[in-house]
Amino acid sequence: MVKFYALLRRRLDTQAVEIESDESSVLELLRLAEKKTGQNFLAELLDPEKKLLTGTMILVNGENIRLKQNLETRVRGGDTIDLFSPAGGG
Amino acid sequence: MNGWMGKIVKINLDSMKQETVPISAEMRRQYLGGRGLGVKLYTELCHAQTDPFAADNALIFMTGPLTGTVLTSGRYQVVSRSPLTGTICDSSSGGSFGAVLKSAGLDGLVIRDRADHPVYLYVHDGEIEVRDASGLWGLNTQQTQKAVQEQTSAKTSVACIGPAGENRVLFAAIMNDKDRAAGRGGMGAVMGAKNLKAVAASGSQLVAISDPEGYKTLNTRIDRIVDKNPVTGKSLQVLGTSVLVNIINAHGMFPTENFRCGVFNDAEGISGEKIAETLLQRQSACYKCPIGCGRATKTRNKQGEGPEYETVWAFGAHLGISDLTAITEANYACNELGLDTITMGSTIGCAMELCETGAWKEKMRWGDAGKLLGWVEDTAYRRGIGAELALGSKRLAAKYGRPELAMQVKGMEIPAYDPRGAQGMALSYATSNRGGCHMRAYMISPEILGHPVFLDRFSTAGKAEIVALFQDISALVDSTVLCRFLQFAMGISTFTDMLRVVTGLDFSDNELMKIGRRVYTLERIFNNQAGFSRRDDTLPPRFFQEEFQTGSSRHRVVRLAEMLDNYYSVRGWDKDGVPLPQTLAELGL
Repeated sequence: MVKFYALLRRRLDTQAVEIESDESSVLELLRLAEKKTGQNFLAELLDPEKKLLTGTMILVNGENIRLKQNLETRVRGGDTIDLFSPAGGG
Repeated sequence: MNGWMGKIVKINLDSMKQETVPISAEMRRQYLGGRGLGVKLYTELCHAQTDPFAADNALIFMTGPLTGTVLTSGRYQVVSRSPLTGTICDSSSGGSFGAVLKSAGLDGLVIRDRADHPVYLYVHDGEIEVRDASGLWGLNTQQTQKAVQEQTSAKTSVACIGPAGENRVLFAAIMNDKDRAAGRGGMGAVMGAKNLKAVAASGSQLVAISDPEGYKTLNTRIDRIVDKNPVTGKSLQVLGTSVLVNIINAHGMFPTENFRCGVFNDAEGISGEKIAETLLQRQSACYKCPIGCGRATKTRNKQGEGPEYETVWAFGAHLGISDLTAITEANYACNELGLDTITMGSTIGCAMELCETGAWKEKMRWGDAGKLLGWVEDTAYRRGIGAELALGSKRLAAKYGRPELAMQVKGMEIPAYDPRGAQGMALSYATSNRGGCHMRAYMISPEILGHPVFLDRFSTAGKAEIVALFQDISALVDSTVLCRFLQFAMGISTFTDMLRVVTGLDFSDNELMKIGRRVYTLERIFNNQAGFSRRDDTLPPRFFQEEFQTGSSRHRVVRLAEMLDNYYSVRGWDKDGVPLPQTLAELGL
């Protein structure tokens, strides 16, 4: 399950998509999510070197992938991926 | 003089005597204005034994050298000793009041003594007029602002108290420009104790700019930086601060039912995304602010401003309430009555747990949205159980024999980030010199949001250095006086540039950081003299002993002991948290 939040949710007009996948990297899963939503959003989250832009938060079962293997973090069926476009407050 | 108006007036409300407070060029350079200069003046006028409600306590309204100039410069700071915490306290508010006070000719206003009847102050053309406010006493903040404008000018900006301040509720706010709040620490109660209903200002004086061409160029550059940043240029505009609800909940640190859980199952229903879909009418912005994080909202019955993130949490997850309308209308009521929403909600949550445990024989239950508005109103008027809620959580929990159930630091309620989910935030709360506050060092930025760099939220390594650095930057920005949200988009050097073109003073980045450190240390000295020490730099035992069983912060506790000694060392304080002589000498204190 890939859940979208913040401005990304509004932009995609989708709260979540279910992806059938045994095991993959986060990057591969998000590419599948692009296909499923029919919208290319990955480019907005990455810099020219294909690294996550400052402020973009991707959690796998609540853990930020920056503390794991970034976009190469492995995910399995049943995992929840929370995807937040940059946001802030106080 | 460039930047500053060059005039701070002290007024004694008993004799109505007014005098100009002399401020040397050196003092301006060392403290700037706002929080910094306010704290400096306060510590010269008052001492650690000054009762916050005594006549001789000073209440200081301050602007800064950047107020009324660059983007987001409508803010002001109020400084006094907090009746809630006993610490020195500054409370900040947006809107336009700060800019208007300068256009009326003043950098600041020092208020002492107590009037023998309700009064309000009208500042215009560099003069202060004391006017009778007997007819305003009892009015709510919206009515007061309207009435004062009718008596002065439609362009007057009004900072006032409502019934909560009049009744000295310990967490009464000062409200200005309709719904902007100097919310934390009970500055409204100090104002009420002085029989001061409002401070109003209007004028047309301009702030002199040292380098008009450079100023113009810099403003254009800042505007572009703010616009291009995804947080200040988009997210805050569209979704407001409540965008944080889902983010913090997903991190398992959205405090639920008085911090007993870190995940609120109904978070989606009270989120910024949901508010934007349902209650939001339009965004609202402070003076010269291109961000516009404010929310003009409407329920079926009423309209007003909010809720922002802290409020949606305080009246929502913290109380087990998922009724967005009830939360929003409680927010409107706090604005009208003049109450800090964080302490109000947190105290109700504390009361609910006291009732659940049987320590307090009242019927306040989790999720009871129907009674929320009544509790808020009763608090402002100190009616029934409201008289007890008006004390804040620390005093309430102590009264019923369960002090550990108050989620506070130094008497101020902790806001909407559970410290078990972010070790740096835990250290920030524990060492905050106005108590449980997220605005002294907003460690959520690096530990959760990834600004300006991403840090491991569960690690304690290096957090002492960063917390001290963030505390100093915050003290600096509060002394300039600008909106903290600018920090999402720009670093210290841009503040240096702004000060240079406006004041003509060539500060270095290091000198500005030293100003922040000087202010923070001076506040600490006052608190030490008031009896605060290492034993107060802590958190409620829940955060050290109880682990969440669910969510992504499960099985975590705060590891303060790993950070505190290092923090004192970084600060140049001894092991009891007292600044060392060489630290004082280095800072010119």
